Amino acid sequence: MATGTAPAAPLSPAVFAILLSLAEGDKHGYHIMKDARAPQGGGIQMGPGTLYGSLERLMRDGLVEETGLSDDERRRYYRLTKLGQSVLAVELERLDAAVSFAHALGLLPHGGRS
Amino acid sequence: MTQSPTTANRLERLYALALCLYPTPFRQGYELAMRQAFRDALQDRALSRRTLVPLVLRDLVTSLAKEHLAMLRDTFARPALVFNAVVLTALATGLALALYAIPQQVLRQGANDPQIQLADDLAARLEQGIAPAEAVPAGSVDIARSLSSFVIAYDDQGRPLASQAQLNGTAPAPPKGVFDYVRQHGEERLSWQPAIGNGRSVRIAAVVQRVGGLHPGFVLAGRNMREVEAREEQVEQMAGLTWIGMLAVILVGTAAFGWYTRPKTA
Repeated sequence: MATGTAPAAPLSPAVFAILLSLAEGDKHGYHIMKDARAPQGGGIQMGPGTLYGSLERLMRDGLVEETGLSDDERRRYYRLTKLGQSVLAVELERLDAAVSFAHALGLLPHGGRS
Repeated sequence: MTQSPTTANRLERLYALALCLYPTPFRQGYELAMRQAFRDALQDRALSRRTLVPLVLRDLVTSLAKEHLAMLRDTFARPALVFNAVVLTALATGLALALYAIPQQVLRQGANDPQIQLADDLAARLEQGIAPAEAVPAGSVDIARSLSSFVIAYDDQGRPLASQAQLNGTAPAPPKGVFDYVRQHGEERLSWQPAIGNGRSVRIAAVVQRVGGLHPGFVLAGRNMREVEAREEQVEQMAGLTWIGMLAVILVGTAAFGWYTRPKTA
């Protein structure tokens, strides 16, 4: 049950990477860690302790929930809640504005976003 | 780099042991999932052991600290627990202040007792027309050193007429404002602090009373407060120690109560 309050932007890199990974669909722990490691997932080297600690707090804040479905007792799947989607959207808008500004200043190599 | 099953098993066993360092509720909630994530990482051919081991070690250090801090926060920073501790601390502080203030006031008021009667008697004798030199008992009390009570008679302007007390060889007099107050109110009980030289002063429990009659003036009866102040200091120390003791009991009690009523699940 969610008892906390949704974290305000900016999100920590680990939390952002987890939310971004789960935006794609329900995933288990190692899948999230793998996504986070990829450059497009945030490039975060995250271990199991950081992952499950963050998931614990995200579930308490109501941003993430367990699906309850599992192919194995040890492999738990998680998904974004509506609140989690909103928080991720706010963070993405914030980052998008920053990237647009950097682009306007000509700070991005190769002309910035494609 | 591929890893042999033996090495992977050994690493997994070490990781399982390291998981024992996490707070119990967190471990109970996520131990199996964390072991599975670690097992998946060991089997991931894209992740070399050279990358994985330092990553997991860093992760253990940071997440262990974070989860233990979170457990402490969940255990001891619960609003009801903090509120109770604050209320108990306020009560203990109020009690300690009362333990100091009540005896201190009793001691201070008691320090006036003989002077009240001495001033009253001297004022009565002066009002009967007895000369100040006769009415004031003979003797010389050095108020900086002696604990004996003493009396002084003053004229209506506050100038000493006869004195049983000496300070630096002269009869001392309180500030003029004291006489102005007594002229209006008849009596004043005060802690008088005349300077005794070298930047030091002495505290006197003094009672000043108005003298009526044909030759109006004032009488002062006083006594060095050295012993009373020493007792007040003892009371202050006892109250301070009591306060520290109560705070220690509250701290230990709150910590114990917080621990036994801590959230049991992650």
